[in-house]
Amino acid sequence: MQSNTPRSDWRFTVILAFTILLPCLYGFGGKFIEFIHIFRGNTDGMFAVTPIVNYLLASLGFFCMLAWATMRGMFHDIEAPKNTFLETEEWLDHRETETAR
Amino acid sequence: MTNESLTRDVPPNRALIEERLVVWYFLASIAYLFISMLGGFLMAFQLIRHNPFNGIELLSPGRWRMIHTNAIAYGFLANAFLGNLHWIVPRLTLRPVFSRTLSYLIFAAWQLVVLSTAGGILMGEAQGLEWGETPVWIDPVAQLGLGLVAVNFMAPILKIKGPMYVTLWYFLAAFVWTFLTYAMGNFVPQYFVCGTSAGAVGGLFIHDLVGLFVTPLGWGSMYFFVPILLRKPIWSHGMSMVGFWGLAFFYPLQGIHHFLYTPIPMFLQYGAIVSTIAVEMVVLTVIVNFFGTLKGSSRALATNLPIRWFFTGMVFYAITCAQCALQTTLTFQALIHFSDWVVGHAHLVMFGVFGQWLLGVMTYLFPRLLKTEWASPKLCEWHFWLSSVGLFTMALDLTLAGLFQGWSWAALQPWDASVEISQPFWIVRIFAGIAMFAGQVLFCVNLWKTWQQSPLNKASLKSEALPA
Ligand code: HEM
Repeated sequence: MQSNTPRSDWRFTVILAFTILLPCLYGFGGKFIEFIHIFRGNTDGMFAVTPIVNYLLASLGFFCMLAWATMRGMFHDIEAPKNTFLETEEWLDHRETETAR
Repeated sequence: MTNESLTRDVPPNRALIEERLVVWYFLASIAYLFISMLGGFLMAFQLIRHNPFNGIELLSPGRWRMIHTNAIAYGFLANAFLGNLHWIVPRLTLRPVFSRTLSYLIFAAWQLVVLSTAGGILMGEAQGLEWGETPVWIDPVAQLGLGLVAVNFMAPILKIKGPMYVTLWYFLAAFVWTFLTYAMGNFVPQYFVCGTSAGAVGGLFIHDLVGLFVTPLGWGSMYFFVPILLRKPIWSHGMSMVGFWGLAFFYPLQGIHHFLYTPIPMFLQYGAIVSTIAVEMVVLTVIVNFFGTLKGSSRALATNLPIRWFFTGMVFYAITCAQCALQTTLTFQALIHFSDWVVGHAHLVMFGVFGQWLLGVMTYLFPRLLKTEWASPKLCEWHFWLSSVGLFTMALDLTLAGLFQGWSWAALQPWDASVEISQPFWIVRIFAGIAMFAGQVLFCVNLWKTWQQSPLNKASLKSEALPA
């Protein structure tokens, strides 16, 4: 299916995505390396394992979901669902008024 | 799908949506809002040294403060969201929920969980974690209830083929997150870890409950109702997806920002700060998307009350985001930590944003559910203005109180001095609370009048009058 999203919308979305992703990856990467250092050398910091492992497990699940969704073409025509949803809503409302008559 | 295939494949509206249950959930939600507000008043009167029930253990403000927050999360918000889900999920998936009987069972079980939690707290059996106060003997039932909610709503969602609308993404994630977050907060610190480690888990829990239960359900509902109310699609679906995945990856780590300056290692505290900044960006996607959609339709703010509820909520959201940007810095934390600034912030986000949105949804849906217009549009307006002005006054008042308290502590004044300077602010809070409370009373009066004129009420009266 051809996407009918204006180019400016696309550009804005991509720029926003990168503004969020890059600094965060940098921040998290740094903190993760620090965490590994503590884990190796300092037993006092060991308790931090619980929240970190919680987080890593949850994120792993979300990576799998993201990959699954991409492979199923969920983001192929990314703007389409916003229109189809409104069309079916209209149809449901129309049917309700018809039944009420 | 074409209209013919829709007519062929989609069950009739009555089979698709259990409207009665939506009404029940909304009514339960309003009832808990009242219970919670009464708890808030009791604590507020205690703080201005006018507790009318001094010495009565069962009415102790400490216990009712826990009921205040617990009933807001699991009574008001959870019930309203469950009502929303029963309306939204079948309409978006064009399939009914997994089982109607299960839906009713969950409704009954959930009320039992919330009421027994309140009972347990009153009897002094609370678990020592904010929002995790649910006594240990209720935790397994609540956990099971959350599992059943997930099964009931995920079944229709997972049958969808092709790209999903953003609302369903949020809901899917919320079912999994809420289940896991509840387990983490209620079982891990109780049975598995202790000390600072339990503190860290507690921080994750409180904030994840806001961000992984309330936020996705709230954002999902907003993305559903706003386009319907404005009769046009959201500004950018792509951006809403960036918001969704951003929330998924960045929210879980930020809970520790509640514990800056504690013995938790600094790298974890900095990690929480970094992810908080990331989440700020994520919330911005929601705010930009809302205002982008509203652009060109601003007249609706005057004529369409539900959209005005959403708009006000979104303005409050922008304010809470600005507060967050300050709060997450260590310098500012040093000033406002433990002060009423945080309490103001909590009210702004819980009632100002999500509460306002949910009341907007109820304002829109009750006439549809009861098959009649609101009995008094004027009372609807009063409900809106009293709630919004009351909340804004309370939030502003507590924000200022927080700053004065922080400055008093920073100047190394004795603790009592900060309590004294707080008195005028705490008195104003009571008046703001009265305005919010009055708004909800008018809402109920209007609802009762609307029910009186509803064809559903007339039909039930007629069937009762018929001889057996
Ligand atoms: C009648 C109106 C209300 C009054 C008088 C009131 C009063 C209070 C008081 C006295 C506290 C305790 C503050 C402290 O410990 O120092 C509190 C906390 C809280 N309230 Fe309310 N409240 C009201 C309505 C609401 C509503 C409608 C919501 C949410 C929808 C809400 C959410 C909260 C939350 C989340 C906290 C915890 C704040 C924290 O621990 O930082 N309140 N409220």
